[in-house]
Amino acid sequence: MLTAKNIHKTYKRHAHSVQVLTGVDLDVAEGEFLSIVGASGSGKSTLLHILGTLDLADSGQIALDGRRIDNLGNKDREALRNKTFGYVFQFYHLLPEFSAFDNVLMPGYIANSFLGWMSSRRAWRRRAEELMERVGLTHRKHHKPREMSGGEMQRTAIARALLMQPRVLLADEPTGNLDAKNGDSIISLLHGLNRDDGVTIVMVTHNLEIASQTDRVVKLVQGQVVTETPATFHPRLMTVAG
Amino acid sequence: MYKFNLCLRYLRTRYLAFVCIVSIMLGVATLIVVNSVMSGFSNKLKDRLLGTSADVTVGTEFFGGLEENPDALAQRILSSKSGQHIEAIAPSVEVVGTIQFSYRGRNIVKPVKVMGVDPAKQVKVGNFREYITGQKENPGLPTFELSAQALQRFEQQRDFHAPPRLPKAEAPSTGGDFLGSGPQPTDPVAPLPAIPLPDLPAVEAPKPIGVIVGHSLAHWQYKDPNTGLPEEIPALEIGDTIMLATLSGDEMRPVWSTYVVADYFKSEMSEYDSQFVYLPLEEIQRLRHMGNRATNMQIKLKPETPKSYQFMKQEVAVPLAKELGHPHSGTYVLTWQDTQGPLLAAIDIERGILNLLLFMIVGVAGFGILAIFTMIVSEKYRDIGILKSLGASNRGVMGIFVWYAIFLGIVGCVTGSLMGLGITHYINEIEKWITDISGQQLFDRSVYYFDKIPTNIEITTVVLVNCGAMFVAVMSSLVPAVRAARLQPIQALRFE
Repeated sequence: MLTAKNIHKTYKRHAHSVQVLTGVDLDVAEGEFLSIVGASGSGKSTLLHILGTLDLADSGQIALDGRRIDNLGNKDREALRNKTFGYVFQFYHLLPEFSAFDNVLMPGYIANSFLGWMSSRRAWRRRAEELMERVGLTHRKHHKPREMSGGEMQRTAIARALLMQPRVLLADEPTGNLDAKNGDSIISLLHGLNRDDGVTIVMVTHNLEIASQTDRVVKLVQGQVVTETPATFHPRLMTVAG
Repeated sequence: MYKFNLCLRYLRTRYLAFVCIVSIMLGVATLIVVNSVMSGFSNKLKDRLLGTSADVTVGTEFFGGLEENPDALAQRILSSKSGQHIEAIAPSVEVVGTIQFSYRGRNIVKPVKVMGVDPAKQVKVGNFREYITGQKENPGLPTFELSAQALQRFEQQRDFHAPPRLPKAEAPSTGGDFLGSGPQPTDPVAPLPAIPLPDLPAVEAPKPIGVIVGHSLAHWQYKDPNTGLPEEIPALEIGDTIMLATLSGDEMRPVWSTYVVADYFKSEMSEYDSQFVYLPLEEIQRLRHMGNRATNMQIKLKPETPKSYQFMKQEVAVPLAKELGHPHSGTYVLTWQDTQGPLLAAIDIERGILNLLLFMIVGVAGFGILAIFTMIVSEKYRDIGILKSLGASNRGVMGIFVWYAIFLGIVGCVTGSLMGLGITHYINEIEKWITDISGQQLFDRSVYYFDKIPTNIEITTVVLVNCGAMFVAVMSSLVPAVRAARLQPIQALRFE
């Protein structure tokens, strides 16, 4: 469904240039829970951003359902970010001025004009409430991000990512800043979403244990996909990465 | 939707933004107050100028006056091409002169402008009755007649200064005539019997002629050292005698006569009030030996005639001057702006410069917005990235900041306008309050003789000031807004 073909990306800073991705090919199937692993600086986050049109590749193509999305105009790209992709970040990235509930509603605010919002706000609120319930944060609805724990913030971020019923959820180290217990609950939440709602999930992580629970694991080394491990836990993966 | 949502949220959580509101408010308020006061001054001055001078004046270079008979000339003016715009014409004589009067036994001489007018015609070409202190309320024509009170004072003064008059001698009861019968003088040293005066008809003292004197000519102004308030001493009271001297109309020869002050003229234009002495037209014509000639024809235009300088000059003054043989005839035609223009132009220039200077306050507010917004954009770098990752458009992100500036601008403009209008409305009370507190008089009423600070709120000015402030607010938000809009989402998100 979501394919990357021969992706190259180089970061230039003054005279230095760092080649991050050197010809990555990746194919994400519909309904798949894929994790991308690799050492720090291996380009896994960059790949995720390029997949989600948050960043541009130097060369190569990204296609969704066979249609190229890397060369879209601003308007289509914005619609894509708003409706098709949902993002979950390591640092949650909630808006500090807004309550958890408003943060969850934010993609809805963005998608609607003032009048559109006024006529449909009830439906949006109901959806946001359902999602809050789903992530177990009904009691935290009116709290500001700074009043919540890391796990709660990440769950809020997941609820926000799900508001527009995206086809693909792109998660960048969603458990990176959480303790094991909170991390586990986030991962099981993601699994539930993948299993029950059929959301395609691409997750970047360096936690191999978490990665091993996903449908497929992709390993990036020096900007290229070196292994694609199918389905279940693979001991060799542990040794290679560890 | 999120634009409003975010900018309202930022408005509520960023108190720094209120600095922008305050500076916009102050700028707008100051501009409104200054413009209202300047416009009030300008209007009041214009009213006074227009009140004392006719719309258009026909004058002559010749000291003897216009060569044509005023009535015939008026007819000629009316039947000319410009005649259709003319409502009324009044002949007048305007010459320089001096007056002399005594104050506490000493002589005072002042240069004056002698205005010979016909009250019946004068009232039709401008404010005249309105400016005569004692006759403002009179429904009839203004008059040079002396009131009973004035006459009484006049007579008292005359009797005081004149040598005592001989009592009327009575005929001796025993008398006869020199040659007739009756007892003849027997005693050669006895005094001769009194000679009875012939019974001539009583001679009336010449009737005094009244004049109307400029208020400031007749009153001395000074500042009371105790209260600091302007006070006046009447130096020339109604019923007092003045001697007026001017030049004859036919040759260079001084002519003079005595007159009695009948009333004061107070137009509140210091230039006029300190110089004008009004005389009946016939009297000045007699004094100057000029027959029934006049030196000026004052013309009032019809109310529906446009009063713009352009129109008056092109449609009335220029054709009329041509008709009257300008320039070789020595006759010229001037509009009131020609004579008073520089004063009004000075006010307009002053106003323009003040506006320019005060708009800098708004400019400062603009830079405040620029600085504060740049700060907020830097602070909100990450949030902008988040919004973009959630699908917010460049235009939308820009919109947040532009709407933010619009909100600040609107709040600043509304509060500033209210403040400005309030200050303008209560400016006299505020001035009094400040004067009371500081002991320094802010507005010296003796300069303009205004009893109040005149104000005139022009809606167009208020609207323009507000539009200008909004423009500055929005323009100064654009730079930071565009910077925010151009941000790549991932750049902003990596900004930890």
